[in-house]
Amino acid sequence: MTLDLWQAFIFSFAATEAFAVLFQAPKKTMVVSGVIGAMGWLVFVLLHQHLGSSSFYAKFVATVTLSLVSELSARLFKQPVTTFVVPGITPLVPGLGMYHGMTQIIYKSYNTGIDTLLTAGMDASAIALGIMLITSVFRVVKIGTKPLLMPGNGK
Amino acid sequence: MSLYDLKREETVNLAMMLGKVLLKSGAETSRVEDTITRFCHANGCNDINVFVTPTIIIMGDEKPSGIYAICRIRYRSTNLSAISEINDLSYNVRTWPLNYVETMHYLENKLTEKPPYEKWLVCLAAGIGSVCFSFLLGGNSHDFIAAFITGLLSMAVLKILGEFHSSAFWENVLAGAAIGGIAIICCTVSSECAMEKVIVGGLMPFLPGLYFTNSLRDYMAGDLISGNSRMAEAMLFALSIAVGLAFSLHAWYRWGMSL
Repeated sequence: MTLDLWQAFIFSFAATEAFAVLFQAPKKTMVVSGVIGAMGWLVFVLLHQHLGSSSFYAKFVATVTLSLVSELSARLFKQPVTTFVVPGITPLVPGLGMYHGMTQIIYKSYNTGIDTLLTAGMDASAIALGIMLITSVFRVVKIGTKPLLMPGNGK
Repeated sequence: MSLYDLKREETVNLAMMLGKVLLKSGAETSRVEDTITRFCHANGCNDINVFVTPTIIIMGDEKPSGIYAICRIRYRSTNLSAISEINDLSYNVRTWPLNYVETMHYLENKLTEKPPYEKWLVCLAAGIGSVCFSFLLGGNSHDFIAAFITGLLSMAVLKILGEFHSSAFWENVLAGAAIGGIAIICCTVSSECAMEKVIVGGLMPFLPGLYFTNSLRDYMAGDLISGNSRMAEAMLFALSIAVGLAFSLHAWYRWGMSL
C-alpha cells in the first residue's frame, strides 16, 4: 500500500479539518491545524512505507514532529496547544489494529487477537510518548509565555 | 475599563467562572489551575489556592477565616473555541474591554450558548473524516460512500442520544452498534465494499483523542488524579465503542455470515 504522497497529504489534511470541526476548534486556526495533521501523517508514511522503519518508531517520530510544530504555533498564534495537537494526532491513532484485534477475538482466535491488540497498544503508547516528551520539554523551555507573578497591590 | 484592580470577592467569583467555562469545554486541569492562579495574581490575590479535578473546582484562602468557593462540574463537552477565547482573556487581563459585570454576563453566555458548529455540520464532518480515513487505508469509491453514510449516521445517533443526558457509556455503545449495523448493511448492498475500511473509517470520529491527550498533558504537569481519571475516561469511551461494535459484528457472525 504505497500511496502517492500528495494524495496522502490532501486526504490527511481533510481528515484533520473534519476532526477540528468535531472538536469545535476555533475557525482562525483551522488551516494551521490541518497542515499540522497532514505533516504528522506524511512523516509517518515516509518513515514507515518508504524508509521501512517499524510502526512504533514511525509513529513516535511523527508525533514528536507534529507536537513540536503545534507547541511552536501555539506560541506564535497565542492559542491553546490542544487546538493543534488533538486534531493533529487523530490520523495516527491505530484504529485498524484495534478493529482487526477485535474481529479476531470475535472469531475466537484469541492469541492472534491479543497479539494484534497489543501491537495497536504499542502504537498508541508511541503517540503518548511523543506527546509526553514534547510537553515536558516545553514545560522547561518557556518560549513566549508571560511570567505568572504580576505586580499586585497586595489586597 | 479592565479586569485589573477588582475586589477580592469579585476576583474569586470571576476566576471560578473562568475555570467553570474552561473545564466544561474540556480543557486540561493544569490549564484551568494556571488560568485561575494567573487571574488571581493579576488582581493582587497572591494567596488564593486552587485544586481542580475533571469534576470539581475548589478554591480558597489558606486561612480558615478566608474566602472559599467550590463548584461541581457534571456535564463536560468538547469546545476548543471556548478554551481559546478564555485563553485570550486570561492573557489580556489588563487590556480586556469589558468590566466586571459585563464579563460575568459574557461568561454566563459562554456556558449556555451553542458551540460554533451546528450538529448537522458536526455529523457532516464525521462523514467526511470517515471518507478520508477509508482513503488513507486504500479504499475504493464504494468504500467512500459507505464510510460517509456510516460516519454521518452513527454520529447523528450519538448526537440524538446525547440530548437525553443519560450515560455517556451507553450512548457510545449504541453509536458503536450503529457503526457495525450500518457498515454491515452497506457491505450487503454493495459487494465491492471492504468491511474493514468502512468500519475503521466510521470508527475514527468516535475515538477519544481529546481525553487521551489531556490525560497525558495532566500527567506531565504533575496532576496525577486528573491524569488517572481522564485516562480512565478515554479507556471507558474506547471500550464502549468496542462493545457496541463487537455486539453488531458478533450477531452477524452468529448468523453465519462472514465479516
